[in-house]
Amino acid sequence: MKWLQQIRSKPVANEAATPKLYYYDRQKPGERSRIHLRLDADGSGLLLVNANRVVHLNPSAALMAKLALDGQTPAQAVRELTRRYRVDRQQAEQDFRQIAHQIEELTRPDGACPVHDLELEITAPFSARPSAPYRMDLAITYRCNNDCSHCYNARPRDFTELPTEKWKAILDRLWEIGIPHVVFTGGEPTLREDLPELIRHAQMNGQITGLNTNGRRLRDRHYLDTLVEAGLDHVQITLESHDAQIHDRMVNCRGAWRQTVAGIQNALDSSLFLMTNTTMLRHNAPWIGETLEFLASLGVPTVGLNALIYSGKGVTCGTGLGEEELSPLLEVAKQITAQNNQRLIWYTPTQYCHFDPAALELGVKGCTAALYNMCIEPDGGVIPCQSYYHQLGNLLTDAWDSIWNHELSTHLRERRNLADKCHNCILLAECGGGCPLLRLALEE
Amino acid sequence: MKKARWFSLAILIILSLLPAGVFAQSYLFSLDELRADVYINQDGSVSLLYEFAFTNAPGAHPIDYVDIGMPNRSFSMEGVTAQVNGTPVKVSAADYQGSGAGFAVVMGSRSIPPGGKGRVRVFIPKIDPWLRTDSKDPNYASLEFSPTWFGKEYVQGKTNMTVTFHLPPGVKPEEPRWHTSPSGFSIEPLTGIDDQGHVTYTWGNPAALGYQQYKFGASFPAQYVPAGVVVNPTISETLGIDPGALSSCICFAGIIAIFAGIFYAASRSAAQRKLQYLPPKIAIEGLGIKRGLTAVEAAILMEQPLDKVLTMILFGLVKKGAAEVIKQDPLEIKAIQPVPVELFDYEKDFLRAFQKTSMRERRADLQNMMIDLVKSVSNKMKGFSRKETIAYYKDIMERAWKQVENAQTPEVRMEAFDKYMEWTMLDRDYDDRTRRVFTGPVFVPHWWGRYDPTFRPSTSAGRQTIPTPSSSGGAPGGGFSLPSLPGSAFAASMVRGVQSFSSSVIGNVTDFTSRITNRTNPPPPPSTTRSSGGFGGGGCACACACAGCACACAGGGR
Repeated sequence: MKWLQQIRSKPVANEAATPKLYYYDRQKPGERSRIHLRLDADGSGLLLVNANRVVHLNPSAALMAKLALDGQTPAQAVRELTRRYRVDRQQAEQDFRQIAHQIEELTRPDGACPVHDLELEITAPFSARPSAPYRMDLAITYRCNNDCSHCYNARPRDFTELPTEKWKAILDRLWEIGIPHVVFTGGEPTLREDLPELIRHAQMNGQITGLNTNGRRLRDRHYLDTLVEAGLDHVQITLESHDAQIHDRMVNCRGAWRQTVAGIQNALDSSLFLMTNTTMLRHNAPWIGETLEFLASLGVPTVGLNALIYSGKGVTCGTGLGEEELSPLLEVAKQITAQNNQRLIWYTPTQYCHFDPAALELGVKGCTAALYNMCIEPDGGVIPCQSYYHQLGNLLTDAWDSIWNHELSTHLRERRNLADKCHNCILLAECGGGCPLLRLALEE
Repeated sequence: MKKARWFSLAILIILSLLPAGVFAQSYLFSLDELRADVYINQDGSVSLLYEFAFTNAPGAHPIDYVDIGMPNRSFSMEGVTAQVNGTPVKVSAADYQGSGAGFAVVMGSRSIPPGGKGRVRVFIPKIDPWLRTDSKDPNYASLEFSPTWFGKEYVQGKTNMTVTFHLPPGVKPEEPRWHTSPSGFSIEPLTGIDDQGHVTYTWGNPAALGYQQYKFGASFPAQYVPAGVVVNPTISETLGIDPGALSSCICFAGIIAIFAGIFYAASRSAAQRKLQYLPPKIAIEGLGIKRGLTAVEAAILMEQPLDKVLTMILFGLVKKGAAEVIKQDPLEIKAIQPVPVELFDYEKDFLRAFQKTSMRERRADLQNMMIDLVKSVSNKMKGFSRKETIAYYKDIMERAWKQVENAQTPEVRMEAFDKYMEWTMLDRDYDDRTRRVFTGPVFVPHWWGRYDPTFRPSTSAGRQTIPTPSSSGGAPGGGFSLPSLPGSAFAASMVRGVQSFSSSVIGNVTDFTSRITNRTNPPPPPSTTRSSGGFGGGGCACACACAGCACACAGGGR
């Protein structure tokens, strides 16, 4: 260890604005907030609360947030602020108190709503240009014990996999870059025996960890407990239907449904935040209501729905629904989840002229590839999202800037190459032209 | 321009800025390439070779001077050389205009014009030893270096940056250690041997930022440099305190005479480095204004008193021809069949409530209707800005009033009022403003008879006036009998509608409101201030409605 690193670990005043990722774990009886504050080189900041509330801070607000999260008193904060900025003490204190209050509310699980109560400034959807994504999906293997006929995976199942230590190095690198949230995915990530070890490593770094799985291995309660003990925060389990036959046919594996449902039940019985995911296709969409009722009967609090992803087998499976067909299905989904007090999350970016999720009050959904999320393949290659199989570089060997500012990354972020009809559309900011993979599939 | 951190062996390049009035153009350029070679010599001193490739932006000020700042004065100007595109140019300590120590490269006739390119090469042969004992291994010497970076306002584009440490002669490839690489650079530097046989570490990043500070470091066995040139970190270095701050502390400890000069210099330097203060701002991604709310929904959003909201619903139904007031006090209404137009859910619920004869049941139904309405508005507002949306509807309300107030004749005024009445009712000053506006004769709208059961048309014409005991003045349109106080009577009748609700339908407004807010918005968040008689906009579930939410497209599709 060199001397500089050693002194850096000490809480010195100069660290208040050092560009890096800071982590705060706030626990009170009955509630917990995991807070990440990313300070960028230009002084601006990004506050992420439990990896799902994202707040942007200008440089002075970022410094105040840091001071507030560090527990600095107003007097201490004013001293630091006046040292750095040309501002009088009275103004600095007034502003600090306001920001500290807002940060407190933003970071409490039951705090005030940032939109309605704190009345924060609203910026256009997808307008942020962060220095790195908020979330990195880690496709640690492409092996899978299901064989979905619509699977978006475009790689061979025996694709090169990095060893455990390299994945740990990747986790460390992601932390250095400032990415606080990682999701283990695949393939089927539970097929890697080192998954608990990797979760633990990420947890030790301060990262929030999630798992996207078919849930079959979670039927083993002991295994699930191992993941929880390692520090896993949330899990998403894919269930395609309430009907075992439909599910098993879609995932092309007899008996899978039973194991997946057992996995859901185990997860529900744990401390994990659980949500399910269902891809609405011709095979299962007619019974989406029954599937949602079934999930409600299991006690699943949050359900996710999405449409076919046009990648891998998804391009040719022929079971996808047109975007125009989604609205009535999601009306049903809204109604049922509302009746059952469930939260409904719709994922798929669509062209709003065909299907507008905001009009259905499902929130604003657009492509966030190479913007808010990216994915790392089993060999360390970075791709824009877990379905867009074009490597931008390798995290272990290439500079982050070259990956983040790769032509394709920029292309996706800036939403270039949209159809002519999109350019003058008033919904372009929210819509973004839908999923680029669908556009590519249609072009081909 | 920023100055490199004091503990690093760094060079600061400052484009010389003349007084603002001298020229109109600003400096703006891309730093296409930055190469720094850091040679650690056998005697422990350091030599530096910099090479910069600039592209000056069209229309920008020519790059005429390049100030090279140094972290301290422990360098010798002797032997310092500079070249622009291979042609030697002068260096001058006297022309240096940056802060602290340094010198200037005088570009002269080799200045890089707007739109032009140029390569600047600078060699500093000797900087006194700047080696520190490695904290992990006292037998190792440590050096950290930050190449120059520029003010963000002057630099555009990416920089192909390469930094190479040339370790002292004799160091074996397996002996040195590199420090953590800066973000954007590969985790491990490339290890090599230079043409002198020295071990090198090279870090590269083709897309570095010319305005960002990057720090590189390496340690090697101290035996390869003379004893004494490797020193322990000073107290200030160990504590990570800026020398200026340290000297300040000492000053306050009382050794003013010794450190006064240092303190003054440090304070002055710190003042120069202070940043412009912009008020703190926290933002969240989402949608802005929620358009398309009805006036009733906007009233909910604006936390209007509930008796007024109920009156607005009543007026809406009467205007649509879906309901008729049978009796104003206590209020009784009946639905008109068939319903002429499609009604909103809250309107249907409202009519159903008035079908109940029991006042208790009717009140309970109205409460449920309001609860559903509040929740519905809350859902519609997911992800939208409440503040901006309220401002938007306030603006609509004001424009509605303007239409009414600016009308030149009673007919046009009532026409406007008829058209925009529900929006004017959003005004918290509605009662008084109505009285102020309707001072002259008022032609009542065609639906007035359905609202006021005591009303009898005074003419057979389609347009009617409010009847009053006496009349004065002439009729503007002819054929109408004008009341003496028509405006005040009209206004009083409108206001009475609200009072009827509060007195005879819902009873105590505060109790009615609290029974609703208890179910729509249990304990209000502490930051919210609510006006008397108002209520919250309902429980909020914005988290995933916000566009910036990291759960977007989170791995479905398998």
